[in-house]
Amino acid sequence: MSIELGFALYKGLYLARRCEEYIVRHYPDDEMKTPMHMSMGQEAIPVGICHALAGKADILATYRSHAPFLAQTGDHGRFFAELHGRVTGTADGKSGSMHLSAPEAGMLGATAIVGSNISVAVGAAFANERLGTGRTVVAFFGDGAVDEGTFWESINVASLFRLPLLFVCEDNDYAVHTPKSLRRGYASLTAIVRGFDCLVYEDESNDVETIYFLTREAIAAARERRCPVFFNLKCCRYLDHIGIAPDGDACYREPDDVQSWRARDCVATQRARLIRRGLSEEILADHEQATDRAIEISIAQALAASVPAPDRLYRGVFHETS
Amino acid sequence: MDESPQAMTAASIQTYRDALFEAMEQALIRHDHTVIIGQGVTDHKGIFGTTIGLGERFGPRRVIETPLMEEGSLGICLGAALNGLYPINTHIRADFAFLAMNQMINLAAKYRYMFGGLFEVPMLVRLVIGRSWGQGAQHSQSPQSMFAHTPGLVVVMPSTPEAIRETYAYAIAHHRGPVISLEHRLMYELAFRSDPAPQSPSASQSGTPPFTSRLERRGRDVTIVATSIMVLEAKRAAERLAPHDIECEIIDLHCPSHPDRDLILDSVARTGKLLIADTSWLAYGVAAEVCRIVAGTAPHVLTAPVAMLGMQPAPCPTAKSLEDMFYPNLRDLMQAIVRLVTGGDNPAIDLPDERSMADFYKTFRGPF
Repeated sequence: MSIELGFALYKGLYLARRCEEYIVRHYPDDEMKTPMHMSMGQEAIPVGICHALAGKADILATYRSHAPFLAQTGDHGRFFAELHGRVTGTADGKSGSMHLSAPEAGMLGATAIVGSNISVAVGAAFANERLGTGRTVVAFFGDGAVDEGTFWESINVASLFRLPLLFVCEDNDYAVHTPKSLRRGYASLTAIVRGFDCLVYEDESNDVETIYFLTREAIAAARERRCPVFFNLKCCRYLDHIGIAPDGDACYREPDDVQSWRARDCVATQRARLIRRGLSEEILADHEQATDRAIEISIAQALAASVPAPDRLYRGVFHETS
Repeated sequence: MDESPQAMTAASIQTYRDALFEAMEQALIRHDHTVIIGQGVTDHKGIFGTTIGLGERFGPRRVIETPLMEEGSLGICLGAALNGLYPINTHIRADFAFLAMNQMINLAAKYRYMFGGLFEVPMLVRLVIGRSWGQGAQHSQSPQSMFAHTPGLVVVMPSTPEAIRETYAYAIAHHRGPVISLEHRLMYELAFRSDPAPQSPSASQSGTPPFTSRLERRGRDVTIVATSIMVLEAKRAAERLAPHDIECEIIDLHCPSHPDRDLILDSVARTGKLLIADTSWLAYGVAAEVCRIVAGTAPHVLTAPVAMLGMQPAPCPTAKSLEDMFYPNLRDLMQAIVRLVTGGDNPAIDLPDERSMADFYKTFRGPF
């Protein structure tokens, strides 16, 4: 991979990571009154995939969608405004952390009901295929969503209809706080999904470049075969299911488990790789400082922005008639 | 359109089913982005005859057979709507739509609001209410209030072919959000004569959106607010009572999510008496909501307690002896009207001995 592309991926990782680190820093100020499910630790997946499909995919995400949103849009200004409940946010201050969207950037929404975005992604892919847009749809979901019936309805019908759709299971081992060992009556998810007419890929690298190339390869193969793709990508959420506490602090999980993942952190890995390839520490540090400043400005602007006026309460409940 | 006198005569008689078929056919002809999605839409029965042959004529990219996947099916419609199609989703029983409640309530109803107005999800969801011939607890439910309870959903209950044609054409051509229509299976076989001129000031010919209530009959003695097939029953009762100098005003609620409050309040202000006849349970339902409209705005206009008819507060039983008790019949309705208007029973009025409404609509013979 070229240094330029590797750097672009690093920028995506760094933005997602730093935005959440700033959230961790400022959450106790209680200015962001919205339940947050942090992406921290899992950034390589959305950053690798969204960059691989840049401009050619619609994505649908879950309540753990900070990294997918930022990877798809790069828009930390509206991101922080929305987290602060301001009119300058993505949704007029009506979505908070769990329903980020940006239709102009192909971010078709994040929902807070586990698994509910998957069939919507099937429909979006159905429309893209029917209307000949040439766009792929990506459905991000966790391994918990695979326990839901709607996942199986969706993988079945997407395979049946041969839709241009990438199912991305961000496999962080936990549904809220329940490990897979307590949830699955089978040994291998991918062994089952291979029974459908779709392409199945597994990856445990947690590496953004690997995921980037895997996506390119899979989408090319899927176009050839005219079928959907299923990704099972192992990852680790560093923080608790919800909120900003480190996940290893809780009783349900071994601290060593999270520590072993942190030892091969996707952001640090990519940074070290760029240095090895010859990118200077100075260039990296300049970018990091500029990003930090930009994020700080976004937070300051969010705090200074207006809260929704009372008349916004009823606006958009029903769809207007054209 | 053929507007010769012969064609007009022919067109003025139409079954509920044929109006539904016409609405589906017209949707596919007039709007290239319309798709019909559901389990059974291409089978030989075609959603009780309302999609028969459309799969062959318009192809599998317009009329889409799906596996049994109610939630997934509605999710697909939502995603397809997001990316530019107009989906029509079918369920041959409203009860089955409970499997799709997550998509309807948590997503479709909120997809505009919770994203700050960025998205449109235009779609029509057709649900069929079952009744009689042992439909039982899981093939007979009428969930209008469950949907209408949630802000963001338009819920309609067409009671005539005219209402189907107008409302569906309007929804598909003009409305950019989810519309849920509850069709009544018992009316499918009924032939209706269309009135040449619309009676209702809120009918779409006058330019008002058809997502509201309709005045169906004028009368001075009692206001009957009814839904779906209960509108037909109210009309039958009104015709039998008119010779006895009891004049019923009938309002077809038509759109439980958007009742015409002024129409109801003006009527009750004139008659002083209100009877609500709904296809579902009374508690927390249409009956309760219409009472809320009156009690919360002008309780003083009522000169008597409100009368209400609906399903008995039990799951629907299958034995005909129990099923006949479960639903109100014409006799119950007329008796309730007479008592409300005259303050008691009137032996001079011959109440019908029809034990079951379903027996009257005899063309219906199951199994669905």
